[in-house]
Amino acid sequence: MAKNSLELETTSGPNSQLKSEVETIRQKKRKSQLTWYIFLIPSFLGILLFMVYPIFESLRLSFYQSNGTIENYIGLANFKTVLTSGPFWNSVWNTFFIGIFQIIITIPLGFIFASLINSTPKGQNFFKVIYFLPNVTSIVAASMIFAFVLHPEMGIVNYALDSIGLPTLKWLASPDTSKWAVILLAVWHWIGFVIIICLANLQAISPEMYEAARIDGASGIQQWLFITVPNMAGTFAFLLITGWIGALQRFNEVYVLGGPNGSPARSIQTMGAFIYERGFTGFEFGIASAATYIMFMIILVFTFLNLKISKMKL
Amino acid sequence: MNSMSHKKAEKISMYFKFFILLIFGSLLMAPFVWMVSVGFDRTANITMPFPPRLIPEEPSGFNYGIVFENGRLIQSYINSAIVTISSVLIGVSSSLLAGYAFSKGRFKGKKAMFIIVLCTLMIPMEPRLIPLYKLFNSVDMLNTFWPLILPPIINGMLIFLCKQFFDQLPDTLREAAQIDGAGEFKIFFRVYFPLSGPIAATMVILAFIWSWNDFLWPLVVLNNQELHTVPLYLASFSLENGTSLGGLTMALATVSILPIIVLYLFLQRYIIQSIALSGVKGE
Repeated sequence: MAKNSLELETTSGPNSQLKSEVETIRQKKRKSQLTWYIFLIPSFLGILLFMVYPIFESLRLSFYQSNGTIENYIGLANFKTVLTSGPFWNSVWNTFFIGIFQIIITIPLGFIFASLINSTPKGQNFFKVIYFLPNVTSIVAASMIFAFVLHPEMGIVNYALDSIGLPTLKWLASPDTSKWAVILLAVWHWIGFVIIICLANLQAISPEMYEAARIDGASGIQQWLFITVPNMAGTFAFLLITGWIGALQRFNEVYVLGGPNGSPARSIQTMGAFIYERGFTGFEFGIASAATYIMFMIILVFTFLNLKISKMKL
Repeated sequence: MNSMSHKKAEKISMYFKFFILLIFGSLLMAPFVWMVSVGFDRTANITMPFPPRLIPEEPSGFNYGIVFENGRLIQSYINSAIVTISSVLIGVSSSLLAGYAFSKGRFKGKKAMFIIVLCTLMIPMEPRLIPLYKLFNSVDMLNTFWPLILPPIINGMLIFLCKQFFDQLPDTLREAAQIDGAGEFKIFFRVYFPLSGPIAATMVILAFIWSWNDFLWPLVVLNNQELHTVPLYLASFSLENGTSLGGLTMALATVSILPIIVLYLFLQRYIIQSIALSGVKGE
């Protein structure tokens, strides 16, 4: 600042004064521009170290045979190994199966309950709190409880099914039903989130639309079908895609319920668990990296779709 | 007459809705209730009470006593607290600074840099797992809390939410301070930071939930049992014992969940708002 004012005093003549003024403004601007970069240093240091570097390192590793210390370049062999491996495709199948059913059950159910909560005059907040409670519980603790809740002989789910005359399932004790156990847990855990998001967006629909419909004599169900549902299309897309991306990354609950190999008989081993098993119990870093890259590409496609559909501008 | 019966029908449908909500709500709550109840049942460690009952035949605090005596859960609570508080502080501060710069700053490359931040939202943890493991191994930080505390310094979602918040605050505040000759840092800390309360609270809540429940990454970097966070301890207990020791498992689950639930009940309005905001704005 002192230097700038000195400059102003020493220069004479209207032309040079204007020039120096422009110069000082420029300097000030440059200085303030630099300050803005300082604001961004912590985040961009993080991006460089914990995002950019690992992504490229992971790509590099996927072309190497590696156990953490010794590395040999082997080209595309890791990708070939992964893409021809039965357990990998099994894990893809498990991930997709659990994810698809979790989503097609939870979103409609959550939306219906959000609509119900939205239309009850009393106890809205109470229901919100209750329904969101499972989502607050860590999925690890929830899995721990569900191992007992779904126990074929002493669990409460089979007891309840039996007492209303429905057939019981073996749940996690058999590879035929174990995926349904994970789906049930996932629905229980996720539905609160779906309800909260739906409620927030339901309450954002303008009440004038409903009023106009009521004047035209539309019934409650007609209003729900022709005003509410179409207005929620964006919300459904958001839930569908974030839910799907989350489902592709499923790991915690299947690890607690079935260990890294997803027992019984690998029936609940997800892609994440496959990567963990290969990378951190077998220390086959190259193969695990190739598998993560395949998974990353799948996730990227869906995230990209999400950004396209949503209003988040890129 | 017609309007009377119409009103009656409305009332019936209202009670019906309320009833359905109550039923489904109790179904969702049932695992919690059962968990607490079995935790008070000493004999459940040998055979689970069947048929299930709300109050154990011989209620006892035996299981809860063991959970506290053993001390590992308390240790893991302390570990989780250290990790969560540090990572939340780091993540929220860096995101506040970045979000503010992206909202009010005028500098070269702003748009490109913001796109880079949004791109980080697309990068999941899994492809970074092995390189990050090797990175922290090379600086001898495995089996310390640093790998859990440092990476949350970058959080695209928090930066995005923060930018949106500052976008709503008027620029005139800045201009007034600028005329007084305040520098950018002074303007941020004196003018905008004191106004950032609502968004900072949301950011703290979201970052807290993410860090507290984080599992895969801690599992990879923490082998030392004494450093285990709550989810890691629960998982290792569960994998060791399977579905034996029902009473103890349920007591452990109860004690691990309860503080979070109490916290949630106190802050539920803010937590639910934050979740909704991350969903609505993220949309």
